[in-house]
Amino acid sequence: MSTKAPSESRPIAPTPQWLQALLLLAPAGVWLALLLVIPTLLIFELSLVPNIKPGDLVNPSGLGNYWRIFQSDVLNVIGRSLLFATGTTLLCLLMGFPVAYWIALLSPKRWRNLLLLAFVLPLWTSSLLRSYAWISILRPTGVLNTLLTSLGLPTLDLLNRSPAVFIGMTYSLLPYMVLILYASLEKLDRRFLEAAADLGATPPQAFWKVTVPQTLPGIAAGSLLVFITGLGDFINPELLGGTSSMTAARLIYNQFLGATQNWGFGSALSMVLILAVSLAIALLIKYGDKNASSL
Amino acid sequence: MTSMADLTRLHLSRSRRRFLQTSIAGLSGIALSSCGWTLAKVQTDQVRQGASDELHVYTWSNYVDQELIDAFRSQTGIKVISDVFDSNETMLATFQAGKARTYSIIYPSDYKVSQMVKLGYLSELDHSRLDGLQNILPRFQKSVHDSGNRFSVPVSWGTTGLIYNSEKLTEPPTDWNYLWTHKDKLTRRLTLMDDVREVIGAVLRSLGYSYNSTDPQQIKQAYEKLQELKPAITTFTTDAWRDQLLAGDLSIAMGYSADAVNVINQNPKLKYVIPTSGTSLWSDTMVIPKTAPNPDAAYAWLSFMLQPEVAARVTERLFFATPNEAAFNQLPDTLKNNVTLFPPQNLLDKAETVAPLDKSILELYEKYWTKLTSS
Repeated sequence: MSTKAPSESRPIAPTPQWLQALLLLAPAGVWLALLLVIPTLLIFELSLVPNIKPGDLVNPSGLGNYWRIFQSDVLNVIGRSLLFATGTTLLCLLMGFPVAYWIALLSPKRWRNLLLLAFVLPLWTSSLLRSYAWISILRPTGVLNTLLTSLGLPTLDLLNRSPAVFIGMTYSLLPYMVLILYASLEKLDRRFLEAAADLGATPPQAFWKVTVPQTLPGIAAGSLLVFITGLGDFINPELLGGTSSMTAARLIYNQFLGATQNWGFGSALSMVLILAVSLAIALLIKYGDKNASSL
Repeated sequence: MTSMADLTRLHLSRSRRRFLQTSIAGLSGIALSSCGWTLAKVQTDQVRQGASDELHVYTWSNYVDQELIDAFRSQTGIKVISDVFDSNETMLATFQAGKARTYSIIYPSDYKVSQMVKLGYLSELDHSRLDGLQNILPRFQKSVHDSGNRFSVPVSWGTTGLIYNSEKLTEPPTDWNYLWTHKDKLTRRLTLMDDVREVIGAVLRSLGYSYNSTDPQQIKQAYEKLQELKPAITTFTTDAWRDQLLAGDLSIAMGYSADAVNVINQNPKLKYVIPTSGTSLWSDTMVIPKTAPNPDAAYAWLSFMLQPEVAARVTERLFFATPNEAAFNQLPDTLKNNVTLFPPQNLLDKAETVAPLDKSILELYEKYWTKLTSS
């Protein structure tokens, strides 16, 4: 283990190793314990109380809230969240890869930072504002349809339907995907591409057999980030999705701030989301790591 | 002379001290008792006395304006600092998160009053300190949420109805059932409120049942009827319909009368109608929390707001319906005859207040709502 190395190289160090570790880890550890571990445990405790709302005594009494999740309406909601998150991830990947590829490999070097900055710029405005912008673009008499009509094209009725949610979410999350893919593509060893060309590979072959495998860790990391953020998004589905846009995040919100105020069920649903996302991250660390030595 | 920087520092250090006090109070609130702990407990035992010439008011954005604040100050010498919230839920969450010690006057809606009373947050009003309470319309003295105004003084009321574009609809709607009979023409031109009780309540009413039905069969029937209307509904929203209705994207929207007044002022082609089969009647109120740092100033505010002249002038300026009969009588005729604000008695007689229901029944409403918005 490499942790032994410092004490061996400096045997006169007066601080014992455990104290060093403690001192270095304490600030972050206390922070995480106070603001992550304890709140999560509290949520877990609440999830064991049926029908609790503010002012009630917290009296854990079983897994009833968790069984509720397996009812068809709730499964439907979770399914829709997964659909929105998966669709957004695919769209971001499809649109983000060419952009990142172009910025990292083909664009003039001195423009690169500026181009990246331009791509991240939308993140400086509030996500709520960006969703409202999409409303005014997509609504029946909005910017898009005015443009289409003036070109003599048929109008599109996108707002308050799933396509609008995909548009809004992809727009929100694309910069994250591009940034991560860029970091991955920038490290691409071009000598492999030259070698592939030397050995007779066509550019598409070289792309699929050299570029993609080398950037796979980046693709995985970017997709996971977009997927997880998408899973928790409720602004876009809420504002752009119309009548059938209930997502898990919105359902949790309803349990805490809606009419019923069932904090127990809301907590159970939160725990399931937290567990699912943690599991996805654990899998990425375990299986993604083999290829991710360069990241 | 105090410089700007000094003032800022002063303010910062004060708010930080308040933050620490609240945090400590919050932590002690989490302290475990013998058989568990109480969720979101607000400590009401120790009341901190605030500056006697300052009154912090927590209200909706359209209820307090500078003129009102100035008038109160010239009458009482008390300075009002008002903060606004955009939903009862936000208000309660802020209150529970430690702001309870800041505000002496809060403006919850009727249904939230009963909830806050149940949680033990509100102080019982000393009626001997309130002049003019008898001017409140009898209907609002007998609210199901706070009968006899023990904890709250109503300040404004309104109805739920349909706002429509009279240019787009050849035949004007008169009842909820209009939506079903015309649903083919309304495809994706209609919004309903993002509120389970209002929407299912309205459908229950269109079926001839109570807005507050507790019969599972009736609630199910309402859900099924609502499902039929779904192709016509473009989205569920409580206020985002305003822009879309003004822009002509929508033909008809379900909303509160207070919002209707607002859009009709911008476009007279828009009309508001209270469905004949009955609707809901809501009121917003003023309360004094037990944690109020300045209850004396709070009573001064309530008495001030109950003065007929004050209530009448503020109704004229800010366009909401006053429950104060003496104030109503002082209003100009144009406002008295505004049927959006003050609907005719026969429609009001049919209106119900959204009443508190049992947890198990609410759960049922919520379940159908989830089904409706996820299928």
